Parts: sequence; C-alpha cells; structure tokens
Amino acid sequence: MSKITTLEKAAASIPDGSTVAIGGLSMNSAPMALVRELVRQEKKDLDLVAIVAGMAVDWLVAGGCVRRVLAGLVSFEGLGLAPNFRAAVQSGAVAIEEYSEHLLICRLQAQSYNLPFMPTRAGLGTDVLGLHAESGAVREEKDGPTGERYVACTRLPVDVALVHAHEADERGNTRVNPKLVWMDNEIVNAASRTVASVERVVDTAVFTAEPERTTYPRFMIDTVAPAPQGAYPCSCFPDYSHDSDFFMAYSQAARDRETFTQFFQERVAGPETWEDFLAVNNVATGVSA
Amino acid sequence: MSTPVPGYDCTMDELMVVAFSRAMSNDTRAFNGAVSFIPVCGYMLARRTHAPELVWAASSIAVDADPGEIGDSTLSDSLWGGASMLSNSPFDFWTFAQGARYNTFAFRGAQMDAYGNVNNTVIGPYDNPKVRLPGGGGMADLGAMIPRIYLWSSTHNPRTFVEHLHFRSGIGWGDGGDHRERMAMPGGPQLCITNLCVFDFEPASKRMRLASLHPGVTAEQVQEATGFEVLLPDGDVPTTAQPTDDELHILRTEVDPTSARLREF
Repeated sequence: MSKITTLEKAAASIPDGSTVAIGGLSMNSAPMALVRELVRQEKKDLDLVAIVAGMAVDWLVAGGCVRRVLAGLVSFEGLGLAPNFRAAVQSGAVAIEEYSEHLLICRLQAQSYNLPFMPTRAGLGTDVLGLHAESGAVREEKDGPTGERYVACTRLPVDVALVHAHEADERGNTRVNPKLVWMDNEIVNAASRTVASVERVVDTAVFTAEPERTTYPRFMIDTVAPAPQGAYPCSCFPDYSHDSDFFMAYSQAARDRETFTQFFQERVAGPETWEDFLAVNNVATGVSA
Repeated sequence: MSTPVPGYDCTMDELMVVAFSRAMSNDTRAFNGAVSFIPVCGYMLARRTHAPELVWAASSIAVDADPGEIGDSTLSDSLWGGASMLSNSPFDFWTFAQGARYNTFAFRGAQMDAYGNVNNTVIGPYDNPKVRLPGGGGMADLGAMIPRIYLWSSTHNPRTFVEHLHFRSGIGWGDGGDHRERMAMPGGPQLCITNLCVFDFEPASKRMRLASLHPGVTAEQVQEATGFEVLLPDGDVPTTAQPTDDELHILRTEVDPTSARLREF
C-alpha cells in the first residue's frame, strides 16, 4: 500500500494536542511545508519538540498552534531572535520546557532505546537542571560504584516526527542526500510515527541499487508527502540554501503587529497550496537534480 | 562596524581573530556553533599559518572544511567546501565531543561572569523574562565536555560581563576553584578575547584576569567596562601582540575575503 499522500492529508492526520517533533537544525532542513500546513489547518495545543530550531517553531507560535515548546535553542542565528517565540514566552502565552541540545537528544534516545534514562554530562553545573526538579525529567544523579555525576535523561514520548528528506519511494524508504548530518534520526527513532516530506518520489529500484544510502527504512516512515523545495525558507543541502532575505523580511515585519499579521497571511499562511506559497515567495521549482 | 586599532595597521575584528588564532596549536581539534565568525576565522587562519595540523569541523559537521568564503550562517553548508568528511551530529559529533576527541570549543553568551560561565537563555527572571533569548543549545552541553574552552565578545561592557548571571546556561569554571575537577569535567576556559583586552583565568580562583590590553586601552577602562572585579597579573600588563603582515594578508584575502566576521560588530 502506498504511503504517499498530500501535505494536506498528512497534516490532517495530526490531532490537536499532539506532541510533534520538528526535524532540521536551525536554518537547515526543517519540514517547513508540513509546518505551514499545520498552521493553515489551525492546529491547537501542540507540544513541540525542537532540538535546535528557528522558523518552524516561530510559524507555529505565530499561528497560535502551540501550547508548549521543548527546545534546546530557538533562534534565527545572526539574523536575530525568533520574534513570535520570544514574545510568546515573555508574555507566558506559550510555555517553555528548557533543555539543551544534548539533554533533549538523550531524552529522545532513552525513548528510542526503551530505557528508563540515558546518562550524559550535559547540563551539569547549569541552571537548567533546577527547572526540572519537580518532574525529574532530567535529573542529576551519582553513579554508586564510581561516584561519577551524570544527568539522567528520562524517556520523552513523541506522537509524531516531521522531517524533510530528498527522496522516498511509495513504500516509505527514505533518504537524505548525500547523508543525514543533522539529528533527525533521533526524533524519528523516538516518535510513534513519522511523516516525511520529500523533494521527490522515486522508484524502489533507486533504493535497492544503492541500499547503503538509505537513511530511514520503510518501517520507520509512515507517511510520505511530496514537497519540492519543502524546507524553504530553510536550506536543503546540497539542493538549495536558506533564504536570508525571507528571514530578514520576516523579522522586519515582526516589529509591528499589524505589519506582521499581513506579512504572515500573504507570505506564509494565506497561499492555498505549497506551490502557491512558493510562487508568492518567488521560489523557482523543478530545478533540483 | 569595527574600529581601527591605534598604532597597528589593522582593525579590532582582525586583532581579535589573530589573538584567537595564536592561541590555537597543531593539536587543536575544534568545531564551531552558531554566530561564531571570530572563532571560525581564527581556526582557518591558524591552520594557514602556525598550526597546519589543526582540525576544524565546520558547523560541527564538515571536517577539514576550507570554504572559499564565509556566508551569513556558521551553521550552514556554505561553510563546508573542501571538507574531507561530512560527519553526522548524534553518531559522530556527540561521540567525539563527549569523549573529548574534539578538545577545543569557543562559545559566548549574552552575559558572561568572571568564571567564564555564560547565559544565553533569559535576561531578567526566568519565569518572567525581560528578554527571552535563544536558549543554551549545544553550548550548554559542551562546557561540561570540552577541555579547552575559549570565550570571546565584541561587546565588552557591564551588560555583557556581569557579576551574577541571570541564568547559567553553560558552565565555564562553574563556582571557581576546583569545581570542575570535583565534577570530573576536563580542563576549562582558557582565554576570553574581547574588543578591549584578553583575559586568562587566575589558576587558583579561576576568575578572569587581564592577560593583555589592546593598544590604547587601560586597565581602568577594562574595569569600568566589566561588572565584576578584574584581576591583574603580577607586574605590567602586556599589550596584545601586533598581527604580522602575513597574518593580516591571509585573513583578508584567503580566510575571510568578504569580511563576514564584521557580522559580529
């Protein structure tokens, strides 16, 4: 049975209140086409898991879709703070569960490996651990025999992972070209199910010809949604780079509420299809090899 | 914009890059995080001058990268040209980092304290922040793992260099003294390179100490720009060494011909 569906149907399968993990790293390889569709469908009360994120989280916050953000870092790097994320955390409209990159990776690994916790030195001696004193989600412990201190990172259940990749077949075999360099595998391995948006659908023969290049086997990918330029305005190495102009125009618009509302409607949420969105933003399609 | 360094034929960004570069050596095995233009230039310059064996993983991914120019993100593929390996984040990077196979990392915060601890999480109370910052990211983890930590700042003022952080996102020397040793953390912060001076860390207390002053800057000016007591070395404070013509030429023409480093100024 083919796992290929539309962005619209893939997003529709995600209920309000879900814990959604977002792939990519900072301005790279985020599943923006899927994220935009969640915004369009006005999802509510999502808990986002984002290890190192930016625009994807900001879109979902701007769209009013988010209850809580579990993150290590949310920013536009040198292009600025993520404006809606910043404002929503400052006002308390969105709750934040504070992590670092590796604390969050370790929670996902504990979930993936079906272990009570994963140990790491990450977070030792910082104020992050104190924020989790009540829940114990990440907690400092001492190894009895050696006396060494570590942080125990407990399981983090994820309802659905959203990742962007280059190619998939209809069975769900999926690959990132030339190889996965980000930590998307951590969210895929932890999630109950995964939706992959892909630049293009290819025959299974493409995978069997070069099986060493497959990133995710078909049993780890539940849904495939074709989305050329699907990480825009983030990069999808080596096919295209992030669009700094979009990031800057977005940040500029966010200085004024009315201007931003209009910008967000015109440039992000308004266009009906992903192709319409790309056209509005002057993104050329069909050029990726 | 960066400013000319009085008496030296270079600008402040160039002086900082060269000071950073000279702290690197042939056994440096480094990587970089976000908005790290000064360290990235420093690694590439060191490799082209006195430390040809230096390892640098661009964006913590592209080992031995040698990009023709630096783009607007130090986490993006524009930095990966010429790499001998594209490593994967969890399997490769976090293994090399936790095992200290990578031994050098440079980070900074919106706030830094005398012990080289950093805050990149909130300004103001955590529960009711005046400014929500990006968060600790990987920097928060790596302070506990990497033995040679370098800090830098192009905004040396009392808002950046504070007595008390509003939030400790990442650990430097922690509470000072033997804190890292007690926590079984390797090494610790070595230098902090700013637009006024270079700090090292006094060996017993692990507090920042003036190691050199940039030309035209006095110790009094550094103290005024610093929210904690600046320790002074025995004897005179040296002046930060002058970059050579060779270093400046390589930096300007080969390492960073588009002056991406000015994004930090």
